[in-house]
Amino acid sequence: MNDTPVIQLRDLRKRFGAVAAVDGVDLTIRPGEVVALLGPNGAGKTTTVDLALGLSTPTTGEALLFGGEPRAAVVTGRVGAMLQGGALLPDMTVRDAVALVAAAHRRPMPVDEALRRARCTEIAGRRVNKLSGGQLQRARFAVAVVSDPDLLVLDEPTAAMDVEARHTFWSSMREFTDAGRTVVFATHYLDEADTFADRIVIMRAGRIVADGTPAEIKAITATRAVRFSGVGADTHVALRGLPGVVSLEARHDSVTLRSDRSDDTLRALIASFPQAHDIQVVASTMDDAFLALTADPAAAPTDTAPKGVLA
Amino acid sequence: MTAVTASGRLPIRYVYLETMRQLRNVRAMVFTFAIPVIMLLVFGSTFGGQVDPTTHLQYLVVTTLQMASYGAMMAALSQAFAIVNERSLGWNRQLRVTPLSGWGFMVSKVIAAMAFAAVSIVITVLVATVGLHASLDPGRWLAAGFGIWCGVIPFALIAILIGQFAKPSFAQPLFMVVFMGLAILGGLWVPLSVMPDWMGSVAHLLPSYWLNRIGQMGAGATGASGMTEPAMVLAGWAIVLAAVIVWRYRRDAARQ
Repeated sequence: MNDTPVIQLRDLRKRFGAVAAVDGVDLTIRPGEVVALLGPNGAGKTTTVDLALGLSTPTTGEALLFGGEPRAAVVTGRVGAMLQGGALLPDMTVRDAVALVAAAHRRPMPVDEALRRARCTEIAGRRVNKLSGGQLQRARFAVAVVSDPDLLVLDEPTAAMDVEARHTFWSSMREFTDAGRTVVFATHYLDEADTFADRIVIMRAGRIVADGTPAEIKAITATRAVRFSGVGADTHVALRGLPGVVSLEARHDSVTLRSDRSDDTLRALIASFPQAHDIQVVASTMDDAFLALTADPAAAPTDTAPKGVLA
Repeated sequence: MTAVTASGRLPIRYVYLETMRQLRNVRAMVFTFAIPVIMLLVFGSTFGGQVDPTTHLQYLVVTTLQMASYGAMMAALSQAFAIVNERSLGWNRQLRVTPLSGWGFMVSKVIAAMAFAAVSIVITVLVATVGLHASLDPGRWLAAGFGIWCGVIPFALIAILIGQFAKPSFAQPLFMVVFMGLAILGGLWVPLSVMPDWMGSVAHLLPSYWLNRIGQMGAGATGASGMTEPAMVLAGWAIVLAAVIVWRYRRDAARQ
């Protein structure tokens, strides 16, 4: 029906003195997408979020929300946000905090509805400074959804949450995204990005280094590990030459080959080195992909990436 | 529930909830309210019923108005700490993802400041009338109290300026300098008549002098032009301060 991008960043740059916190980011997010923004500390995630929301002005480039100025989208209540370093006042109850923010919006949802959606009904009467880490994040989530936004921007929403709290949080998030709304969340937790996002954007040093579905991101490193024993060190050169092998690690008697065509590697290995035993083939994890992509620039795996995935 | 103004909508319900929220913390303001009352009890009962030659008002009335001005000013200026605290918590960051405009924020803080000032003025005047039997026509008390109450607006704006733009570590000393300067040089602690002449000239430049003056005029002090002159000076201060705040707010937003 309406395919105006929810977020559109064009050649966005932000410098703080000599430091380029955001260094040329192009990103288009369409309605209904659930996007994880991944990256190590200092990658520029928070600055990108601030620029997208109009909380700070870009040095060059432009940020649009729903095709217009970010502030206009904020004013009409189409954006809800849980920002890093944005807190609630400690001496208020959760309900009062949500009601106060609701009063600043033009067409908020009922306060009780926001509390229910964020699983805050039971803690509504509690003071903010008496909340646990997970409860506080839920209260902040209630504040973020009270304007009934079309876009939710969450900067590390599950920081300081234990496993159960994270589970509760993401189930309330599901309810929100099932209604077709757009969510962008920055996170350190790779499994969260893998499980809850349908698109992952990885940032490093102010740039986007990868952008794709969780499966595509994993495919960027595209490797499986083929691990075995029983082959001597004198065979390493020959092992490196097997089809698909991109790297070799050896520890004691055990050898690990990283391969982007593990089936071929395995067949060739068994044919050429029948003495190999205890063979395992292990899929690479999200962590492997993340570490590979956010390693120092010289080591970035630009040559192993499938076309169109690497930004 | 919003009122449309030239600079956008003012969310009345937000301003109301923000003011009520601050008033619920009234306990934190106990010292702010107590100090003018204590000073009134000390000075007021010392000089009592004599008549002040410059204003032709009872000394007790003069002292009451002076202390009411002082208390109202202090209550309004204390918004600076509320704002610094909220900024350090990140509450302002949260507010920036709402439609609340710079104007809306400013109005909400001015109204909260005026609510605290009203409490201080009422307590001080009640102690003077009920406790010390200061005698003045009720209409005059009302005019004086109302004048002082409206006169706190520039002080609320000074508080916003400090709270919004001073670095947190710098806000405390800046507040003390501004507060002491306004209280002493404006003649709110000790009457200017007992101070050197040059201080009288400095006082005429400060809003705190005119805050005291508007109270005296409301109480029917003789001389000069009634409440109009101090009201004009205070309004001028308010306009200049509001302009500075809006300018700083825009510059700040652009720089981030």
